[in-house]
Amino acid sequence: MKKTPERIEALAAEYVLGSLRGRARQRFERWMMESVRVRQEVWFWEGKLGPLGARIEEEKPPASVWSGIERRLWPQSRDATPTTAANDGAGRWLWPGWSLVATAATLVLAVILLQQPASRDDQRLSGAIVQAETTDPLWLVSESALDRQLKLRPVAATAAEQGKDYELWIVPENGQPVSLGVMPVGETYQVTLDDETRALLSSSRTLAISLEPVGGSPTGAPTGPILHVAKLYEL
Amino acid sequence: MDVEQDELMGLLIAVAREDRAAFQRLYEKVSARMFGLCLKLASQRDLAEEAVQDAFVQIWHNAGEYHDERGAPLSWMLTIARYRTLDLMRVRKAKQTSGDSHLEHVEDGREGPLDVSLRSAGAAELTGCLEELSEPQRDSILLSYYRGFTHDELSETLSSPVGTVKSWIRRGLMALKRCLER
Repeated sequence: MKKTPERIEALAAEYVLGSLRGRARQRFERWMMESVRVRQEVWFWEGKLGPLGARIEEEKPPASVWSGIERRLWPQSRDATPTTAANDGAGRWLWPGWSLVATAATLVLAVILLQQPASRDDQRLSGAIVQAETTDPLWLVSESALDRQLKLRPVAATAAEQGKDYELWIVPENGQPVSLGVMPVGETYQVTLDDETRALLSSSRTLAISLEPVGGSPTGAPTGPILHVAKLYEL
Repeated sequence: MDVEQDELMGLLIAVAREDRAAFQRLYEKVSARMFGLCLKLASQRDLAEEAVQDAFVQIWHNAGEYHDERGAPLSWMLTIARYRTLDLMRVRKAKQTSGDSHLEHVEDGREGPLDVSLRSAGAAELTGCLEELSEPQRDSILLSYYRGFTHDELSETLSSPVGTVKSWIRRGLMALKRCLER
């Protein structure tokens, strides 16, 4: 589907309203990743419809909500407020469906890196995982068909919060993300792709990083928040 | 930007620098509004609690990505929570073998699907632009916004075919945009 101004306008409104669902919603999230114009249209509606949310009757959440947040962010911290309610934080890590940019927070940009021109036989994908308002990319990504290696070199990436690991995923065009393992921070992460994963990556060209319990997702699907999504480009 | 938004902005900037005390203060200022919104949307307390928790974890990680093109700080935070609630609702619905228990629950509510207070709240915030829409356009938009109704649920609630409901939403939103841009 072409990104005509009319379509962007209509879909952005329905995306923010929430009435855009399923595949159409996923497709639109991909558009958001690809185009500033699309993101700006979404921001327009978030800005206009956002204040509606502030008019609802307030209700104080139970104390267990705050202690759950503290436990998730700083599991080792001693000064975290002790919880009284039975509220098992671990049970709350179920990832509710693969919704890439279903958060107003995740601003995703991908940049093209200049590299040595590749030979024709060696098709390469390249990109960077970046964060808004951070000058340096978090990781630089390169992939080479010849040696079937996907490499992520950390630049400005910092270690995951205590008790957590970063896990790398290929986001296929359809279906569940495929894990590429837990990434150590501070050294280049290198993974060899088999035919199947390479095919998935060549067609979707989308990687994501989620925050998982130490050792990676216990379920085989992302369970924690998706921190970054990046699109790779062919060089 | 009013005083409250200024204060929230200051707290967000501090949170971006990993200031935990500012984060707690932000939570104290925003969580009741956020929880009210999630609860209205989901009609399920445990789901709303989970959404607020997830939203604040995201706010901690992403405070540095807020910028003024994304609306006022409060709207931005509520939007995060709203998307999260909608996601959680979709997963729960997908798991239900029968899709209509949510609807029955909503219709049993004392207030009905769209109570008067919501309608007037919406009207006040959108500077009179909602008034320019037809009643079904306005109701279908507000029901989607506040209650997270799907097209099918709207069709049932408003006793109209799905195609009609879709066009109310689409045309209503475009009319709203024209008015807001004036």
